[in-house]
Amino acid sequence: MRQQLVQIFVVLIVVAAILLGLELGVRAGYLKAYEFPPASRIAEGFVELATVGFPTGVTIWSHILITVERILKGYTAAILLAVPFGLLIGAVPVLDKMTAPLIVFFRSVATLSLLPLVIVWFGAGELTKVILIGYGCFWVMLSNVVASVKYVDPVLIRAARSFKANGWALYREVVLPAALPRMFAGARIALGVGFMVIVGAEMIGTIQGLGALIMEARSFYRSEITVIGMLVIGILGFAISTGLATLEHMLLPWGRSLDRVQR
Amino acid sequence: MTRGERAADIGWGLAGIALVLGLWELATRAGAIDPSIFPGPITAVRMAAGRLPASVFLDNMGWSLFRVTVGFALGAVTGTIVGFAAGWYRGFGYVARPLIELLRPIPPLAWIPLAIIWFGLGEPSKLFMVFLGAFFPVVTAAYHGITHIDPALIRASRSFGLKGVAMLFHVGIPASAPDLATGIRVGWGLSFGVLVAAELIAADRGLGFMIMNERNSGGSVSVIIVGILLIGLLNLVSDAAIAAFIQRRIGRWHGA
Repeated sequence: MRQQLVQIFVVLIVVAAILLGLELGVRAGYLKAYEFPPASRIAEGFVELATVGFPTGVTIWSHILITVERILKGYTAAILLAVPFGLLIGAVPVLDKMTAPLIVFFRSVATLSLLPLVIVWFGAGELTKVILIGYGCFWVMLSNVVASVKYVDPVLIRAARSFKANGWALYREVVLPAALPRMFAGARIALGVGFMVIVGAEMIGTIQGLGALIMEARSFYRSEITVIGMLVIGILGFAISTGLATLEHMLLPWGRSLDRVQR
Repeated sequence: MTRGERAADIGWGLAGIALVLGLWELATRAGAIDPSIFPGPITAVRMAAGRLPASVFLDNMGWSLFRVTVGFALGAVTGTIVGFAAGWYRGFGYVARPLIELLRPIPPLAWIPLAIIWFGLGEPSKLFMVFLGAFFPVVTAAYHGITHIDPALIRASRSFGLKGVAMLFHVGIPASAPDLATGIRVGWGLSFGVLVAAELIAADRGLGFMIMNERNSGGSVSVIIVGILLIGLLNLVSDAAIAAFIQRRIGRWHGA
């Protein structure tokens, strides 16, 4: 308790000192406001973003909505595809052996390196961004679903067998519940990947969305808006991952031991 | 796993790869996909080799590798030092930890505009991006490792008279090596992805630039496809090398 108080106290002082330092440094002319936007500028920029919008007419709220919408589309498609394929591959050892090197390779391909190819195929529109997010999320989710089924504790399966459970009953009552925590963890990691990919994908060929916002702001020498965009992206990502973790604990209380292992 | 089983696994894996390549090639030959926008593997390699000399591929690959290696080394070393220091020295931890936690949720790619503002369009901005990709996973892993050491180890070493820096180097760092190793591998993958993205968006050489430039100048899809496969292979091979190195160095006392 005392440690937490000290920690909070230190955070407040450090952050205040940094903000004050930037503010004074810029006012006194030691730092360029363009390179190190001070807090006062950032606050003004936020008001502008929330009311007038940047570029004019596109407020921060619509940037957020568009980014979230793109992520959700690609992410949902990826999860819906990855779960059935992953369950199948995980359940059939030969299929698992055949696909293992492919999955590793497709995961190794940096998602954004597909950008030029996908633009050639589908143009620089919405679909391209959704496909890129889908690609990034899909392989992460797939490998986690496969692993979740493959690494179910054999003791559990043997125990269930000795209770005469087999076939579909065994799968539904033992394998799936045991696999769910890892699948959920995969879904959480995949969402993080989608979040990384979208920022890069939005930097090309659009003026809407948070990635586009921070890049556009730079070309117009509005670095304070870039910083606001970064903060919003960070807060959004933090909120989503914390929300999912909470949901996970509520829905799958038996998965906590796994959580400890992974962190 | 016996040697025979492992050979069988590799055989199945190769069969899977051959199957995908074969289907891809067949689909273009049979006209199921249009070879002008999605050439088969044989055509793609032949066309790419005809369009750009091998030296161009090697040159761009060299630049990408140079950037990712230097940026990663800087990020991993800084991350290790900061993470260990924040976990070992309470005062420093109070200051460093919240700052890291505040910045960590921002995806590395979101730093691209600021990297350009601070460092211009040259090499330093790319190195900074790769640095960020490595720094956050490594610093988190190093901090986690050093703050989760088995207390029995600490008590035992204390009863042998170890203190302070000596204990950090003889007990703290070796005991947190497995965590650090995980962070390093995650960081390498992230650095690699971040570099490719940074090269696509703002660079004048490197593999990411090569494929984006090919599409912007209306060049050949084959070069783009070969470039993407090269990026994937490079990441795969380098990650395997790092994994093998880690296994050899710390696998000895951790078996993981």
